[in-house]
Amino acid sequence: MKSRVGSSGQSSRGEALGAFWAIVQADLRGLFRSRITYGWLLAAVFIEVISTLSSRLHGTTSTVVSSGLSDFIYLWSLVIIGLAASSVSSEAGELADSIMSKSVTRFDYVLAKFASRIAYTLIGFSALTALLVGLALRLEVHDYTVLGLASAILLIALTLVMLTTLGVGLSVAMPNTVMAIVALLVLWYSMTFFFPVVGLNLLSPGSLVSNLPDIVKGAWSWGDWETVAGFVAISGASTALSSAYFYMKDI
Amino acid sequence: MGQRVIEMENLTKVFGEKLIAVNNVNFAVEKGAIFGFLGPNGAGKTTTIRLLLGLIRPTAGEVRVFGEKMTPESSNLRRRMGYLPTNPRFPSKMTPITYLDFAGKLFHMRKEERMKRLSSLIRSVGLLGDSSREIAGFSTGMITRLGLAAALMNDPELLIFDEPTSGLDPAGRKSTLELIAELGKEKTIFVSSHILSDIDRICTDVGVIGEGKGIFSGSIKDMKKRTRSRVVRLELEGDVAKLCEALKASQWVVGFETRGGFEVDVTFGPEMPMAEAVREVTNLVSRLGLDLISVSSSTSSIEDAFIGLLRDEESRGFLRAV
Repeated sequence: MKSRVGSSGQSSRGEALGAFWAIVQADLRGLFRSRITYGWLLAAVFIEVISTLSSRLHGTTSTVVSSGLSDFIYLWSLVIIGLAASSVSSEAGELADSIMSKSVTRFDYVLAKFASRIAYTLIGFSALTALLVGLALRLEVHDYTVLGLASAILLIALTLVMLTTLGVGLSVAMPNTVMAIVALLVLWYSMTFFFPVVGLNLLSPGSLVSNLPDIVKGAWSWGDWETVAGFVAISGASTALSSAYFYMKDI
Repeated sequence: MGQRVIEMENLTKVFGEKLIAVNNVNFAVEKGAIFGFLGPNGAGKTTTIRLLLGLIRPTAGEVRVFGEKMTPESSNLRRRMGYLPTNPRFPSKMTPITYLDFAGKLFHMRKEERMKRLSSLIRSVGLLGDSSREIAGFSTGMITRLGLAAALMNDPELLIFDEPTSGLDPAGRKSTLELIAELGKEKTIFVSSHILSDIDRICTDVGVIGEGKGIFSGSIKDMKKRTRSRVVRLELEGDVAKLCEALKASQWVVGFETRGGFEVDVTFGPEMPMAEAVREVTNLVSRLGLDLISVSSSTSSIEDAFIGLLRDEESRGFLRAV
């Protein structure tokens, strides 16, 4: 038998992406088939429908949307924390045997993990937010602007991306999944509840949530831009540092 | 000298500035060889293999595979290699079909090519009936067979097997060794083991590692020759004491040892050819009127050769220390 999979020359760009996409697809397939995903989506749909129906008489679009979006920060973040912080560490035992001993580079693997977990978070968030907005628009009192609504949704999406990158980053750095989850829980809830107390509002998802009704109504301040910049910087730093660490470490 | 597929040059790996797992190892494997990598448990075999695959970085020295330096980013080199780890672990929720398809994608194989290859491999390793079952419920033997299929998925030029017969029953062990011997006809194979008879049976060349240090590299024949113990073992009936007296007086005997009153190991000096030594000792037995039940030479045992090498290295290490 002769080799049919090419020579030792440098891989082309398309070929290099092959391993990346294979890991992204396999990871997403595993995530969307997990019971955690079904449980999350069912529970979130149930809570959204109940809370929107109970707001029919006195609720407005801004309050219902803000309340639904804040659930992602306080409640559904737990699902994201669990899945992001276990992304790499849970595969530690099989990583060398089943993936890294193949034609895969360190960056292929770690960037694929970031991509798949971010995609998973955003797909789940988009589906639930579409339902939330659809329900909220059926209310009688509309106090939103389209730009404000879009801004609020994008801000929460960015916050969840930050949480996911922190989770994957800790999963790369920590020696086991439990430690990574505990570290992320401590970090996330410190950012959410403790940062506003010490005046770090710009880096706090909790402060963002309290501003959501105004953002949905169309109010956008310089401080919101600073929040965006802060979250983007944290996401970028987490991705870059943990990728560099994964590149250096022994598997 | 043939084309070298693997070259290790002063290869060293120190974990956490505490444990020297691999210490200045130099081995070379030529194209087409079945290279047995021997060493006791904890000698550094798996660490060397991980260095060879670029899964860990050397502290000093380097590994070259197909003439190029191996690093964690050398995906182009791993594309030409197949690896079967000891007790391999695979994603438990996948099935043999989904895992082999995934492995094929990681080797950048086209869909048509992947499907063709995985269906033939699943059949070859006897997993056809379980091809759609989750790996989670597989036995050790089934996982090893799946690992073998995954190692062959990309039709590699170089195969690396880390203790391939570990945990297998005698039938599985036999078929695995036969398969390695068969694959060795067209591929270069690097196989680690501490089961000496396995290595003796299938390998053309051998490298021995002990406490992280490379202590021998060459053909199996050379290894046995180098550590030739020149011992003839006799099993006798009669007055063994009489033979012992005669051996004491003999010029060509270096030493002897009796066991259980009926077995005698006679050690000869290096100047005496083995055939002549056997003739001399059997003549002596005959002259003394003893019954010879059996006679054997232990020069052909790879176990003795291996233990001899480890013992030599230990004493050399002690001498270096003092």
